[in-house]
Amino acid sequence: MAQIELTNVSKTYHDHVAVHALANINLAIEKGEFAAAVGPSGSGKTTLLNLIGALDTPDSGAIRIGELEITSTPAAKLADFRLRHLGFVFQSFNLFPVLSVLENLEFVPALRGLPKPDRVHRAEQLLEAVGMIDLRDKRPDELSGGQQQRVAVLRAILPEPDLVLADEPTANLDSENAALLLDMMERLNHERAVTFLFSTHDPAVMSRARRLIRLKDGRIVEDQVPKR
Amino acid sequence: MLFWQMAWRNVWRYRRRSLLTVLTIALGLAFNILMRGIGDGFHEQMVDNSVRAGIGHIAIHRSGYQRDPALLKTLPDLSLLEHVVPQTPHLRGCSFRVLGDGLASTAGNSTGVRIVGIVPESERSVSTIDRAVIAGEFLNERMSRPALIGERLSQSLGARLHDKIVLLVQAADGSMGAQLFRVAGIFRSGSSDLDRGVVYLLRNDAQSLFSLEGGVSEAALLLHSSQSVAVAQQFLDQQLRGIPAEILPWYVVEPFLRQFIQLDDAFFYIIVLILFFVISVGILNTVMMSVLERVREFGVMMALGTKPGQIVRLVMQESVALALVGVAMGAALGSAATILFAYQGIDLSHYAAGAAALGITTTVIHPELTLRNLIVSDVSVVLVVLVVAFYPAIKAARFRPVNAIRHI
Ligand SMILES: Nc1ncnc2c1ncn2[C@@H]1O[C@H](COP(=O)(O)OP(=O)(O)O)[C@@H](O)[C@H]1O
Ligand SMILES: [Mg+2]
Repeated sequence: MAQIELTNVSKTYHDHVAVHALANINLAIEKGEFAAAVGPSGSGKTTLLNLIGALDTPDSGAIRIGELEITSTPAAKLADFRLRHLGFVFQSFNLFPVLSVLENLEFVPALRGLPKPDRVHRAEQLLEAVGMIDLRDKRPDELSGGQQQRVAVLRAILPEPDLVLADEPTANLDSENAALLLDMMERLNHERAVTFLFSTHDPAVMSRARRLIRLKDGRIVEDQVPKR
Repeated sequence: MLFWQMAWRNVWRYRRRSLLTVLTIALGLAFNILMRGIGDGFHEQMVDNSVRAGIGHIAIHRSGYQRDPALLKTLPDLSLLEHVVPQTPHLRGCSFRVLGDGLASTAGNSTGVRIVGIVPESERSVSTIDRAVIAGEFLNERMSRPALIGERLSQSLGARLHDKIVLLVQAADGSMGAQLFRVAGIFRSGSSDLDRGVVYLLRNDAQSLFSLEGGVSEAALLLHSSQSVAVAQQFLDQQLRGIPAEILPWYVVEPFLRQFIQLDDAFFYIIVLILFFVISVGILNTVMMSVLERVREFGVMMALGTKPGQIVRLVMQESVALALVGVAMGAALGSAATILFAYQGIDLSHYAAGAAALGITTTVIHPELTLRNLIVSDVSVVLVVLVVAFYPAIKAARFRPVNAIRHI
């Protein structure tokens, strides 16, 4: 059984005219994948990630993540589901500006009720492992854009979620920082078996994915495993 | 947990705006504490003045005297009273007096007066009249038929120190009593009623003038504070059960004074209400702006699994943090101001020219700082902030994460 399964999923926005953001999507993602949703702006990438991330609900079709059928779950339970099973990285401004790097990493474990010494220990271990322990007490506004995105990825993977969703995580980065971020994501995917689904319209970033889900006008037009 | 830290730092994120709000809260609270303190001090002093000008904190008469004060209604069972009254809790002093009305005359003039027969030592322990003497002396038992009269009365009668006055009364037995007295002292109390129309005599002289044969009209009790009235009254009610006496607190004897205080308090609460409303608008504005500036941040928090209730809590915690800083500053400022004024006194004599006519002789007010005032003021400010912050907090919790995250 696949980790994530979408069956006939459609989403239409009614903004003056009806916009079919996603139409009849069928998709399965396995544990440990490193997959990218790609396509031009407006093709439905964000909508797809929001639906899988239980931030939004489809008009029709079914989405299952692990054991949970999202479409039939009340909104109140979805917050808890996200807390326990998902990690998120957004395009920018991911970090809470009043918290240090360490405290940002502590945030989700704290919500999950992990005691302070445990969560600090885990966060420090992770920062050590990726060579970023120097940034421990820095505030987000003291970090470069690249550093901020890397911390956001660390925050997403620290609680060991079933899936990390990253919506255009490199869109605001130069190619060098984009490559660094991808290096880190690849390494975490490889070493810790974190499942990643990210979106991008940058060809250089696409080339790093092990699976490309190509969207156009809300439909999957291509789903391939590129040759290495 | 992490939320208090976030809340505290979020408060100082918009430093200037938060400081302004904190200052609004602090000044509002300080004003409230000081005004309440001035009010309490003013009222306590008014009661004190009034109580010392004659009625005492508690007055005991024969039943029915308050409604219809007749000469014949003298205190019942005087020996029991003289035994019980001195044991009253919180008692500072008591005076057993003879009260009656009469006509005071000199060769040239005559005028109606209230005659008060006193035992000088007891009266001293209850009223301040002995300290108001401006010419001659306060009464003492060695004098022969002395009278102590007010300055205004002395002027209207044309009776100076050592002059003779005749007091003409209707005595208890229905006969006319007329006797000659000598002005032994003249007082100026500041209360126009006293200064214009009261003659103090020795109690024995008054009893003989009114043919009362040892009868006494009232017992006036002075307590350590008006706070003790209830306790003292309960004691007396219990001890004097069964004898036909009425035991009345000052506010029954002087209902006007109590009504004035209640009116003054009501006026104060209206001002406080307006003040709190103004503060609330300031707080609402601050909290609302800080919520609307962080829509995306709340979106990210919710995406990561923060529940709406926790968002409400965070915003409320921020508001409480803001309020507590303001309350700490305001309480310190308000207490300091109250203590300073309590020490110095606020002199209102320039504005009090007409007040004496109303029986208000308090012209220097000493504000009072009470724990109750401090706690009530502080807690109400925090409550107001909590109520006001609830709306923006709910608003923040209602953002939908998908929309909030798109928000830049
Ligand atoms: N909240 C919304 N209201 C109306 N239309 C929307 C909304 N979100 C997305 N869309 C529309 O849906 C389509 C897909 O958008 P999106 O999923 O954001 O694409 P992408 O992330 O690939 O740029 C676009 O045409 C976009 O304009
Ligand atoms: Mg997008």
